[in-house]
Amino acid sequence: MNHLSRFAIPLIVTLLAPAVLAEVEQQPRAPGIETKGYVWNKPDEEKARALKHKADPLKGKAAYKGCQGCHKPDASGRPDDDYPQLAGQHASVLIKQMVDVRAGRRDNPKMHPFVGDWVVSAEDVADIAVYLNSLPTPTNNGKGDGKNLALGKKLYEKDCVGCHGDNGEGDEGKFYPMVTGQHYRYLLRESRQIRDGVRRNAYPKMVTVIKKYSDADLEAVSDYMSRLLPAKAAAK
Amino acid sequence: MNPYLKLLGIGLLATFHSAVGIAQSSGDPAKGKEIVAKTCVACHGVDGNGPVPNFPKLAGTDAGYLLKQLREFKNKRRTSEVMEPIAGALSADEMADAAAFFASQKPAPGTVKDPSLLDAGKKLWTDGNPTSGVPACAGCHGDRGQGDERYPRLAGQYSEYTQDQLGQFKSGKRKNDKRQMQAVADRMSEQEIKAVAEYIANLP
Ligand code: HEC
Ligand code: HEC
Ligand code: HEC
Ligand code: HEC
Repeated sequence: MNHLSRFAIPLIVTLLAPAVLAEVEQQPRAPGIETKGYVWNKPDEEKARALKHKADPLKGKAAYKGCQGCHKPDASGRPDDDYPQLAGQHASVLIKQMVDVRAGRRDNPKMHPFVGDWVVSAEDVADIAVYLNSLPTPTNNGKGDGKNLALGKKLYEKDCVGCHGDNGEGDEGKFYPMVTGQHYRYLLRESRQIRDGVRRNAYPKMVTVIKKYSDADLEAVSDYMSRLLPAKAAAK
Repeated sequence: MNPYLKLLGIGLLATFHSAVGIAQSSGDPAKGKEIVAKTCVACHGVDGNGPVPNFPKLAGTDAGYLLKQLREFKNKRRTSEVMEPIAGALSADEMADAAAFFASQKPAPGTVKDPSLLDAGKKLWTDGNPTSGVPACAGCHGDRGQGDERYPRLAGQYSEYTQDQLGQFKSGKRKNDKRQMQAVADRMSEQEIKAVAEYIANLP
């Protein structure tokens, strides 16, 4: 036997050895906004099942255990990273986003292994959504540097208020997210990804509006949004 | 992998897990005590606090979780040369009895070997690693690692056993976790595994 084959055999064995592999698979990829004929919030079977399920917040609380290692037990997320705040978000929005991640219309490889249908069913998704919606939205969320709030306010009132609302309340019936209490870092990241076509489940009408924004505009408007207060607190 | 095979696999997994989910886990601890004294004592001790670090402590662990493991050793969904034949020889009732007995026992505290790792371990336990996407262990296993039926008790476990299991999840040898722990372990460094195992041993 020559020298080469002596090396080759252990090499082949090493290559073949991981016959068992952790079942950690890639998130699937479904067509999104980059595809011709994209329809935002298109009805789909799983979403319909979740939306019509008579949701139980207590079951949702139990199922949420598998999420709190990232989103935190009070669902306040992380101001220092890209984990969003979820407390008080509309159930419709939470359901749509979860279904989009599961289907692969919104890329989120970090979260995907923990939200697949081998962990939570469509009904669990609805239970979790109703539970999260019932939690109080914290106001100690991460904010921007506060340097360009006048510009942020101007932009928000011109371009965003129509859908996201005076107090950032969004619209449950229309699947428009609440942005109140959301972390600055996350808002900025999503605004940028929506502008750049990276968030593939985005709303084309919003993309038209935000397309012309510079990075500085996005920073200013995200900072302004991160300071919006729930209607009750704002009235005080 | 063939996508259809994969789909089929996922379907099977889901069916399997839901079958387990509704299973009965109410055994008789008194009968369990006898089984343990006869068959398990050499490795897991009289009360589920065995003295050897390779053999997991079972005292105070949720009966539903223990029963699930025994069933899965028996049907080889969880592989272990040692435990497969032992579980294979138990009837469904005997498994439930042994599980109920171990669950009713008082867990003995663990021992820390390298206290210098505790801070790093605590950070991972309570806060995870957002950069690599490791969720905080406390999120699923409970603040103090007390566990429940779905997410096992870890507090006070031998660090050798914890490290071994994390390695099994990482390599895919152990796959009976709805893929949650495989994703967690896959994202952990060797150093993080060592550190969190020490922290777990130190949890009362
Ligand atoms: C490993 C960490 C991790 C886990 C575990 C996790 N998530 Fe997430 N989640 C994230 C990250 C990171 C994002 C933001 C990613 C992005 O920018 O799209 C996110 C985003 C979301 C969003 C979108 C929010 C929005 O405003 O659009 C929802 C809803 C969500 N997660 C729900 C859940 C639920 C429910 C679970 C448990 C079943 C869960 N997550 C588990 C990391 C995680
Ligand atoms: C025509 C309605 C509309 C307008 C105008 C609009 N948005 Fe949106 N926005 C949406 C919808 C719908 C979504 C959720 C898209 C999806 O389904 O993923 C969204 C999502 C977002 C998100 C991500 C929220 C989250 O929780 O992930 C941010 C940030 C955002 N919009 C910022 C803005 C800003 C800034 C403006 C103004 C420059 C704006 N939007 C204008 C409808 C709108
Ligand atoms: C010869 C030693 C030995 C004996 C005897 C033994 N076990 Fe085990 N047991 C082990 C080992 C080793 C493991 C870890 C297996 C692995 O590698 O995952 C284990 C694991 C377990 C687990 C899984 C624990 C966990 O935390 O996931 C249960 C439950 C268990 N044994 C129950 C029993 C019962 C009940 C008996 C008696 C009927 C028994 N064992 C007898 C060595 C033994
Ligand atoms: C998303 C939920 C989740 C998170 C977060 C999580 N685990 Fe787990 N863990 C599980 C599940 C599920 C199992 C296996 C249950 C089964 O076999 O039925 C498990 C099992 C284990 C086991 C095997 C216990 C035994 O007795 O055999 C260890 C060790 C473990 N986890 C350690 C950790 C560590 C360390 C972390 C943090 C770095 C962590 N887990 C984070 C869900 C989680």
